[in-house]
Amino acid sequence: MGKSRRKQKTIPPPQLPPDVPEEDIEFSDEDLKFVEENTDYARFVTRIDTGAINRQCSLKPKTVEDKYQEERSKKKAQQEGKGNNEIQVDPVDVLPVKTLDGKLHYRTVLKTSKLADGDTEELEKDAFEDENTLNKSQRRAKAKKSKKEAKKQEKEFPEEIVQEEETPQAAVLAEVKEELSAEETFENKKNKLAELGMQLLSDPEANIKSLKEMLEISKDENTKIVKLGLLSVLAVFKDIIPGYRIRLPTEKELEMKVSKEVKKTRFYESTLLKAYKAYLQKLVVLEKQSVYNQVATRCLCTLLDAVPHFNYRDNLLISVVRNISSPDEVVRRLCCSTIRSLFSNEGKHGGELTVQAVRLIADQVKSQNCQLHPNSIEVFMSIRFDEDIGKRDREDENKKYRKNNKRNKQEEQNQVQENERKKSKREMMSKIRDEVAADYKGVTYEPDAMERRKMQIETLSAVFETYFRILRNTMYSIGESTEADTATNPGAFGSHPLLAPCLDGLAKFTQQLDLDYIGDLMNYLKKLASSSSVSNNSKQKNSKLLTVSERLRCCLVAFKVMRSNLNALNVDLQDFFVQLYNLLLEYRPGRDSGEVLAESLKIMLCDDRHQDMQKTAAFVKRLATFALCFGCAESMSALVTVKNLLQRNVKCRNLLENDAGGGSVSGSIAKYQPYATDPNLSGALATVLWELNLLTKHYHPAISTMASTISGMNTSQNQTFLSAVTPQQAFADYSLAKESFEPKNESRKLNNKLKRESCGDETKNVPEVDMVVLNKKLRESFTILRDIEEDERVRMEKKKLLKKQINVVKKKLKNPKYKKKN
Amino acid sequence: MRPLDENETTVVFEKLFKFIGNNLKNLVENPSHEGPDPESGRYCFRLQKNRVYYVSESLVKRATNIARKNLVSLGTCIGKYTHAGSFHLTIMSLNLLAANAKHKVWLKPTSEMSFLYGNHVLKGGLGRITDSIVPGDGVVVFSMTDVPLGFGIAAKSTQDCRKLDPNNIVVLHQADIGEYLRDEDEL
Repeated sequence: MGKSRRKQKTIPPPQLPPDVPEEDIEFSDEDLKFVEENTDYARFVTRIDTGAINRQCSLKPKTVEDKYQEERSKKKAQQEGKGNNEIQVDPVDVLPVKTLDGKLHYRTVLKTSKLADGDTEELEKDAFEDENTLNKSQRRAKAKKSKKEAKKQEKEFPEEIVQEEETPQAAVLAEVKEELSAEETFENKKNKLAELGMQLLSDPEANIKSLKEMLEISKDENTKIVKLGLLSVLAVFKDIIPGYRIRLPTEKELEMKVSKEVKKTRFYESTLLKAYKAYLQKLVVLEKQSVYNQVATRCLCTLLDAVPHFNYRDNLLISVVRNISSPDEVVRRLCCSTIRSLFSNEGKHGGELTVQAVRLIADQVKSQNCQLHPNSIEVFMSIRFDEDIGKRDREDENKKYRKNNKRNKQEEQNQVQENERKKSKREMMSKIRDEVAADYKGVTYEPDAMERRKMQIETLSAVFETYFRILRNTMYSIGESTEADTATNPGAFGSHPLLAPCLDGLAKFTQQLDLDYIGDLMNYLKKLASSSSVSNNSKQKNSKLLTVSERLRCCLVAFKVMRSNLNALNVDLQDFFVQLYNLLLEYRPGRDSGEVLAESLKIMLCDDRHQDMQKTAAFVKRLATFALCFGCAESMSALVTVKNLLQRNVKCRNLLENDAGGGSVSGSIAKYQPYATDPNLSGALATVLWELNLLTKHYHPAISTMASTISGMNTSQNQTFLSAVTPQQAFADYSLAKESFEPKNESRKLNNKLKRESCGDETKNVPEVDMVVLNKKLRESFTILRDIEEDERVRMEKKKLLKKQINVVKKKLKNPKYKKKN
Repeated sequence: MRPLDENETTVVFEKLFKFIGNNLKNLVENPSHEGPDPESGRYCFRLQKNRVYYVSESLVKRATNIARKNLVSLGTCIGKYTHAGSFHLTIMSLNLLAANAKHKVWLKPTSEMSFLYGNHVLKGGLGRITDSIVPGDGVVVFSMTDVPLGFGIAAKSTQDCRKLDPNNIVVLHQADIGEYLRDEDEL
């Protein structure tokens, strides 16, 4: 056969026998006999490809189309036989495999509706259920579109294959699966996700279907793939989603005839919206599973942050707020930061989301009975209100009232006073101004001023409702616990988790609070601040009562509230001073927060413009005693406060004079009561600050210098310089974390007493500790100690042994005596 | 001079309670360091010619030596009984009240003189005010430099004071130190 082929090229073929129709052919008997005898050998006849022979004899060169037709028909037959929608890889590229059965396996490639990618045959993918809901016409339309884009001719073939060889069901080829390892599939899926994403980003309108595919990929079983899928879809959505809210066309609009452009946009929008909805639903479902919790929340938060103006933002908000107090820290932090950015970037969503978010948080606080993580309320601090919400109302009312009055008066008194022309001119001007304003409003996207104010008022009321609820809850929990024994356990976040951020928020927003409520607020704060941790009967510590720091915070907030409402009335908060006075005694450095104490010292004592002499003196004395008891940081802050107070109140300086009994300035109380609960009745003006003497011998040079400076203040009135350091700064500077000061060696103390007094100037240049030498010294001393201990122990053991031996010997001595007797 | 009987004691204490509240026990149990005794005595109230005096015990002991018609005054006079039988606190109790006052009001420098002439305290003259004042409470009036100027009765609560017009009365005048000049004879 080959020879004849070769010969055909060079030599003209011999003449064919005349074409005889088949019916006329007669078989001779010999022929028949021969065939019947050798039926085995005649099997090849059945396998003769008559078509191929005809073709060869007909001399037509095989064109590309013919070859293609062959292949197509072959494959069709194959596919119908196997019933799958895989494309067979061209044997030219990949050799077929022969199984043990003798079957030839051609490598198959899953048919996908992915276009513009010409290398479908080279990609080997695992078969997964492809529930393509696209129907034929849409696919053809898509193929046509992609044909226009893909200008390479080689790509036309696989596309056409894709178009026409469709089978509805997908069946998995087990052997193909086994051949590919799991890693390869993972890589492949990742690549596919990336490619789909890039397509979508490059031309979203054309490739919007790829969104659905990406969603399909993320329905895989492998968790990593799901996570990657979710995140990649998130990235796509962030970029694709338009800057306006999509409104699906109503039925009327659908019936109308519209241009192609409009149809295209409509189609694009509806697909986008559907995909978005499906994605969101999936996220919400996945969020509940612990494996996907973090990823899903991250997606939700990013979406809410990026596109708060789009559809379905309410659902997004609900799910984000639900997680705002989750025990998982990552999730919680994500949600809180999202909501914070929502509050600060109000322009993106026009303020409506702020109101909703605040409302939702308030409801959550209510339902959880105030047992949430403090972060959930701290987000309120990022809300910004206009300065004059409440004022504008009042001003408007006043203006209207005044205007009415004026108008009446004018009408009554001067009817023809103004010139007609002037009046009309003014009216014209105002009309024009109104028109311009209206036009401007129509064009800008800003919400109406009235609307904005309404929303802000609503937000404000929700915020304050939450705060007051928290306060009331704290009050009740304290009140209940004093009556009943520890009935309820504190929640997962501690007994009053929300109290601290609530108080901070109140301090920030007091200016918006109406004057009516300030009185109530002060009452609450007073009660909270005075709740002590020692109840009458029970000896056990009641965990529900407020700690010292919380009570300090209450005092702090009360002062801030008062300061911000000075224009109404300057109120003297005596009760809070009493509380502070007593809290100074109850403070414990490890358990309570020193920063809160320093802040309260600053705000209540240093910033107060008016001081009662007796009260100030009482605080000075108690703070000096306080400075003796605690470490550097607290002592420093107390001393700074003392210095400040003494500098501002000249009369208190007689505490520095050695005038027992106070002399003429002591006031009515003749003797100092150190344990008095009321600073006004302590009689501190009659005492002397002996503590300063002790403090000048403090180990820390800064404290000793400060103490000596204070003692050196004289009672004349010409002390004009005020210290710039606040107690908070002092506390921070001298806290243990920043402790870089090394106490001087014992041996040097005896020799250089003079040097020590001047070392106060060197507080800034502290010598650096040589760690190696220090280690060595410590090790030596510890080894010595340890040796001594061991020595002792060994000696004790020896003693015991000796005793035992003595006993044994004694016994022995006793026994022979008996024996002897016997 | 005689000690107060029950009715009189209750009346006096009630009046004092309006101004100094629970600090009343401080007043009664205040140890006094007057006199030569090593132990500190107490203070007590005595009645002489319709006037109530707040005296230390050591002083009382010595005052019993003086005849009734010769004794003009002893210790600090707190107040006096009117013909009708009601008790009024006079300005001379100001020191006691000021030291133990629960409710205080500070006046701006511009309105000090007005108060010292016997007028009531207006909101516009109010510099500072203690929290939690109820109408009808006794209030001690101070200047901004913490000098006690007198006392009176509160007309409005602190909460209401925030919203008042500047010309409304906040404290009704009862006694002030200007009376030492104006009513010299009556004291």
